[in-house]
Amino acid sequence: MQSNAALEYDYSLAKKFTFLTILFGFLAMVVGTLIAAQLAFPELNYLLGEYGTFSRLRPIHTNTAVFGFTVSGIFATWFYLGQRVLKVSIAESKFLMVLGNIQFWLYFVGALAATISLLLGYSTSKEYAQYEWPFDIVVVLIWVLWGVNMMGLIGIRREKALYISVWYYLACFLGVAMLYLFNNMEIPTYFASGGLGDPIHSVSMYAGTNDALVQWWYGHNAVAFGFTVPIVGMIYYFLPKESGQAIYSYKLSLLSFWGLMFVYLWAGSHHLLWSTVPDWMQTMGSAFSIVLILPSWGSAINMLLTMKGEWNQLTDNPLIKFMVLASTFYMLSTIEGPIQAIRSVNAIAHFTDWIPGHVHDGVLGWVVFMIMAAIFHMSPRMFKREIYSKKLMETQFWLQTTAVVLYFTSMWIAGITQGMMWRAVDEYGNLMYSFIDTVTVLHPYYAIRALSGVMYLTGFIMFAYNIYKTMTSGRVLSEEPQFRTPMA
Amino acid sequence: MDIREIQGYASFFMTMFLVIMLYGYIIHLYRSEKKGERDYEKYGNIALDDNITSTPVEDKPASQRD
Amino acid sequence: MFHWLEKNPFFFASAISIVISFAGLIEIVPNFAQAGKPLIDMKPRTVLELAGKNVYMKDNCMSCHSQMIRPFKSETDRYGDYSLSGEYAYDRPFLWGSKRTGPDLHRIGNYRTTDWHEAHMLNPPQIVPGSIMPAYDHQFENVADIETAYAEAVTVKNVFHTPYGPEIKRGREAWDAYRPTLIEEARLIAADMKDERVKEAMAKGDVPEVVALIAYLNSLK
Repeated sequence: MQSNAALEYDYSLAKKFTFLTILFGFLAMVVGTLIAAQLAFPELNYLLGEYGTFSRLRPIHTNTAVFGFTVSGIFATWFYLGQRVLKVSIAESKFLMVLGNIQFWLYFVGALAATISLLLGYSTSKEYAQYEWPFDIVVVLIWVLWGVNMMGLIGIRREKALYISVWYYLACFLGVAMLYLFNNMEIPTYFASGGLGDPIHSVSMYAGTNDALVQWWYGHNAVAFGFTVPIVGMIYYFLPKESGQAIYSYKLSLLSFWGLMFVYLWAGSHHLLWSTVPDWMQTMGSAFSIVLILPSWGSAINMLLTMKGEWNQLTDNPLIKFMVLASTFYMLSTIEGPIQAIRSVNAIAHFTDWIPGHVHDGVLGWVVFMIMAAIFHMSPRMFKREIYSKKLMETQFWLQTTAVVLYFTSMWIAGITQGMMWRAVDEYGNLMYSFIDTVTVLHPYYAIRALSGVMYLTGFIMFAYNIYKTMTSGRVLSEEPQFRTPMA
Repeated sequence: MDIREIQGYASFFMTMFLVIMLYGYIIHLYRSEKKGERDYEKYGNIALDDNITSTPVEDKPASQRD
Repeated sequence: MFHWLEKNPFFFASAISIVISFAGLIEIVPNFAQAGKPLIDMKPRTVLELAGKNVYMKDNCMSCHSQMIRPFKSETDRYGDYSLSGEYAYDRPFLWGSKRTGPDLHRIGNYRTTDWHEAHMLNPPQIVPGSIMPAYDHQFENVADIETAYAEAVTVKNVFHTPYGPEIKRGREAWDAYRPTLIEEARLIAADMKDERVKEAMAKGDVPEVVALIAYLNSLK
């Protein structure tokens, strides 16, 4: 492979997954906005008959956000930055290219089929693991393909040292593989009963309290290894590259990596406080959730300090704005989570809207912002064109930031209001409110949340339009930009 | 010795082991930098200088490539 | 000592795997045997109730309803005795839920009746003014998949030794023999219902989804 003058990074896979990121992001947000509106205006439940109720659509929203949008974002950025930090083009290996394309098509078709299965009501009922067993097998296949591809690329690399982002992507691969496998252990009833009933139906290998423990060990850490680890990996590449500043402290990034790996897995049982799982596990979950602040903030502070001395970039480069806001929301949600994991707070917060509020300031503020920033950064390099409109980007930024703030403030108020009303007693110790009182009181907050959904979705459409115009009519670049992304 | 007891011991010793490893790692990071064996901060440049033609921060010998 | 770890992807991946699997090994695995014990004399759900549980899962009721009464006075006053681990021993999967947009259902069988559910599923705001729950009219049209529920009972009996009687066994013949028992059980529920569609389906020998669902809800005590 010597003296190959035409050697270039191959972005074809990164491009394909970028399109999917935008497609699934749009889908997840449309459904999310619709179901948010259904809570405020129940008539909206009847748009699609059986298939349009809140209950049927909610898993589609969550699974498309996790396995559609975020996972394609992870793949897209990996096929971009993986090559760059390893200083090897994926096109140098035919095998890896073919593998990558198989992964893409299998993923695309699999994701669509799985979404349809949820719409038809096939669900194992475990949150973020609702796919029935045939789709689980497809997920595992895709994941293995990705793992082989990643290991292969690492195998043929020129850069001997593995950059910190590669650490995070590897951890994402291993963590999700372990969690997904163990949580989706199920037995197809058709084969175990001598050919009776629906072949797609299955029954969980675990029962009751055990099932709950495995599920939330999974559920919490799917957030860890899907929404935190790879996104940190992204920002450790894109923020330094965009700003031209190396990571503030590389050593701190290594330490918080191991801290995060060790602590995160213990915290899952904080989803089961006051339930029937043993007390010591609940305590363990609470305690480790608090400890989790340290490695999380270690990474977040490291990101923010990377901008040290270069804060002027924040005012004139909207891309830096996206990433700095993302790390700020990361700090917010990693302090909010531990607070909710304290037993006494959890007694009020659990089962209320504060929990979706927490999830969304993490996902909308941190995950989606970071993935959009990554796509903005990659586009001029992948399509060799300037970003179509800086102004549109600025408008999108402020619109979506306002939306996230509206979302979590309304849900904080809604959650605490409802949690307090459930336990309110009069002077004789009788419950003060019937359940329905605690529902009707939430109407204004649900309406605000629906509004924030519409705003965020509008911002995302602006994003998609901007990328589309960049691809088709942005000014052509003669050479690849070094640091700052060019925009018109 | 019942399962709970084994669980307790295993948990304790494994935690101690990992804590010692983590602190050992911190010491390792700072000491090897002080002694001038390696400079960790230079790895930050992998992201900044990442053209396919740029010189790797640490070159992988051709013999190891496959 | 740490040098090889930073450079060699294989050792690095092994190190991550050890660190991340530690928590699961300590926290989850050793407790399995203990947390799985049922309460004394507890019976598994009937096949009709299992079919109802599958309707509950199909329409994803747990996205808004929990089945976990926490040990607070405000909850025991509202819903009944707090939940015990053994009560869930036969639940595959667990259906605790994580959000109460609607009330907890773990003991709903104690204070709601078949005809209440029927009217409520057809039009929730009429029964509970201000309710934001959608109507589940399609459950009156759709036929419950009782054969799959039977397959599920056979599976959990054979694989996990859930104590079902000898009439639950593999194969189509056993299912054909069991079917009338199930229909009879469904007829008892449907007798308290008014909807014409339910009566018609029952006359044809089918079990509408709503009948199975109500059987399941009535069994939540």
